[in-house]
Amino acid sequence: MDSRDSLIFEKGNKNTQINFIPKMDIEFDELESFIPKNLIRDEVQIPDIPEVEIVRHYVKLSKINYGLDSGIYPLGSCTMKYNPKINEHIARLAEFSQIHPLQEENEGALQLIHNISNMLAEITGMDGFTLQPAAGAHGELVGLLILKKFFETKGVVKNKIIVPDSAHGTNPASAKMAGFSIIELQSNKSGEVPLDHLEFAMQQGDVAGIMLTNPNTLGVFDKQIKDITKIVHKYGGLCYYDGANLNPMLGICRPRDMGFDIVHLNLHKTFSTPHGGGGPGSGPVGVTNELIPFLPKPCIISTENGIVCTHDKTHSIGRIKAFWGNFGIILRAYVYILTLGAEGLKRVGQIAVLNANYLRTQLQKKYNLPYNRICQHEFVLSDKNMPNEITTEDIAKRILDYGFYAPTIYFPLVVNGALMIEPTETESKDSLDKFIEAMYQIYEEALNEPEKLKNAPSNTPIGRLDAVNAARKPILRD
Amino acid sequence: MDFVPHDDDTITEMLEVIGVNKIEDLFKDIPKDLIINGLNLPEGLSEPDVLKKLKELGATNTIYANSFLGAGCYFHYIPTLVDFVVSRSEFYTSYTPYQAEASQGYLQAIYEYQSIISRLTQMDVANASMYDGSTALAEAAIMASIITRKNQIVILEGVHPEYIEVVNTYCWGQNIALKIVPIDKIEDELNQEIAAVLFQSPNFFGNIEDVSVLAKKIKKTAPNCLLIQCMTDPTCLGILKPPGETGVDIFVAEGQSFGINPSFGGPGLGIFAVKEKFLRKIPGRLVGKTKEINGEREGFLLTLQAREQHIRREKASSNICTNQALCSLSALIYLVSLGKTGMRKIATQNFQKAHYVKKKIKKIPGYEVLNNKPTYNEFIVKCPDIDSLIQECKKLNLLPPLPLSKYYPEMKDVALVCVTESNSRESIDRFIKALELANNNKEARY
Repeated sequence: MDSRDSLIFEKGNKNTQINFIPKMDIEFDELESFIPKNLIRDEVQIPDIPEVEIVRHYVKLSKINYGLDSGIYPLGSCTMKYNPKINEHIARLAEFSQIHPLQEENEGALQLIHNISNMLAEITGMDGFTLQPAAGAHGELVGLLILKKFFETKGVVKNKIIVPDSAHGTNPASAKMAGFSIIELQSNKSGEVPLDHLEFAMQQGDVAGIMLTNPNTLGVFDKQIKDITKIVHKYGGLCYYDGANLNPMLGICRPRDMGFDIVHLNLHKTFSTPHGGGGPGSGPVGVTNELIPFLPKPCIISTENGIVCTHDKTHSIGRIKAFWGNFGIILRAYVYILTLGAEGLKRVGQIAVLNANYLRTQLQKKYNLPYNRICQHEFVLSDKNMPNEITTEDIAKRILDYGFYAPTIYFPLVVNGALMIEPTETESKDSLDKFIEAMYQIYEEALNEPEKLKNAPSNTPIGRLDAVNAARKPILRD
Repeated sequence: MDFVPHDDDTITEMLEVIGVNKIEDLFKDIPKDLIINGLNLPEGLSEPDVLKKLKELGATNTIYANSFLGAGCYFHYIPTLVDFVVSRSEFYTSYTPYQAEASQGYLQAIYEYQSIISRLTQMDVANASMYDGSTALAEAAIMASIITRKNQIVILEGVHPEYIEVVNTYCWGQNIALKIVPIDKIEDELNQEIAAVLFQSPNFFGNIEDVSVLAKKIKKTAPNCLLIQCMTDPTCLGILKPPGETGVDIFVAEGQSFGINPSFGGPGLGIFAVKEKFLRKIPGRLVGKTKEINGEREGFLLTLQAREQHIRREKASSNICTNQALCSLSALIYLVSLGKTGMRKIATQNFQKAHYVKKKIKKIPGYEVLNNKPTYNEFIVKCPDIDSLIQECKKLNLLPPLPLSKYYPEMKDVALVCVTESNSRESIDRFIKALELANNNKEARY
């Protein structure tokens, strides 16, 4: 039986009853007596579909979709950890889900944003946070606009940003959106920032700062991190921390202590809020005292009269999103932090690193590991030396056949044919062992039955798709 | 509680395999003086304790029986099956569907979402979502600037004031100049250097513009200037002419009304739809349909990724990566649940109920409805005493309308009233009573 289903639009029925609108309980006039006829449209082309058909269709689709609750989801830099169910339950309570962003009695909501700001400040060492950004990249944009405003206010022209070649793609894209041009810095052989190149770039005088993730996308903690931030500061620049990889650092070390001035976090990675198939997320930004005046407005602050919201900020970069941010996501992260507490968060960092190193140790027995050293939350394999010209894509697609999700592939760009693997702390040893076993078998197949990889996947609802033609003649709607 | 599934023996076993003695050895790259001695946070809480704590905190947020507040966030009835579908953890615990063959379910759903937004708006192409209406509008302005290679944007009065603030922040980032002008002065402001005109209809005050007329006016004077429409409650599209039929180039909306809880204003849904010719400049993710490489079956995948940041880096059309996927799934389920009949009905009820309240208000002494154009489910009312109205509403368990002075200090005693299908006749009667009481209070004082 085909596990797939036709498009929902094919399921209409002209006699379907629609049961989701309350009965009209007022006297009414002809619509056209108060709306000009030329503003009225023809019927919307959405069929009327019986409820049972809708439910079955989407249940069927859910069954051909792999989620974290289906098994290991080893996407590097994505931190696919278990999403506790209590978070979902609390986010649906009427006290939180049914409040309007502009209502006056919002004490609990503001208190919650204030509390989590303080907790994130403790976790990162920063002095102040904004919870407005809706995602990591949105947080990056906020952080860079803060940088921009900081120099603008000082009357200094600095319009370049240093981004290492191992950085997430959002970093350079965000810097551009904030009006900066990018200086790409090549990592050295151990995957770290070369200090001499950094110093040379900073000496040019027009560099506003650096964007770094540490540990970086190779899973390497840059030992010279304090020297890096010192050099940037020496030339008047500021240091931006991309918090996508904060998970292994929880309770162990803090971006502020490394010398960073601005930090964004991904609540949907580190703090267990679900990825939702690509969102919604939340990307809070934390800064040092010096930069607090530049945070987006409004700001939520603590005063003698309790927690209040202030718009009174002359140096603010302005508003970055309507209302307060993705409150429903912030709420889930708050529940997570409360549930784990100080000790729990520290264990997250420790076990995330333990799991990654266990996987690394086992997988490097068969696969090429370009940066062979103890890693933090993730590590990167490559398809170098694979028998029979097997590529990273072949390996990834074959992993799907074994019933797992594949790692991040072809990223970071500094490794050719990269397979970037991040298991997170919530995978059991048993789960990791099953993944390792599959990877070993795949290697054996690459040696002896390469066609199995080249034709993979074959156990999924559909075979490998033609991406080239899809982009050439895009079909984006029915 | 840390959700770690290992016992101590397992940890020891794993450390042995790695070849280190203790977990701390895995952090040897970190300079010693950077290692902290624990976090100054409370101890972890059990599930019942955390639930109790959050319920206590939530109790300080007042929940009202009915609402007359909108202004960018709306209380519409949400069919039960919306939450049923988005609670399937195969959907909500998945990542962006990079591995298409293991993500066909979600990819098809996003394809259906893009299709249904196209059908609803009559625009050619919709993307997979933006963060919200305000950031969608800002990204549309930037997209227009990229397409036209011009760096001036005109924004018409009546766009949600918080959206204007967001557009302003984004435009400052890219050195794009922004000018706010009244709609009746638009022709005086047009010139060849303008990348786009941004407007909202129904606007923040409730007015519905005749978009076709506006589009003709603008294109006549500035043919290359893009017309960008924004909307905060797109349920009106069950009745109103869609942007695809009125000359709009880019359409953006806040999709919270489509099956998403208010949740203090987020997460919502940024709807983003364009004319075909701008397809390759659209920000954000797109799902396309294609065939198997070695077969005839059709499937879905993320496509046109060459526009996106993970490929193009600083040359990308936007930095957006994570979007609001699960909210677009809510919107899809909401729209298919209502169907064409439901969409017509819901828009009709919003029109009719707001119209009914307007008529009632006109009969109460001291009040004046200020809109001089047709309106959907929001309109503005001059009140004899708005503070008193707010208090009376609260006493009657009604979430009061927005005092416009929040955004426009000069507009004293003007309320932005929102009436949706979720306002029963009984709640409307109570609201009318609050209006009358507020007027009586005022008269009693003088």
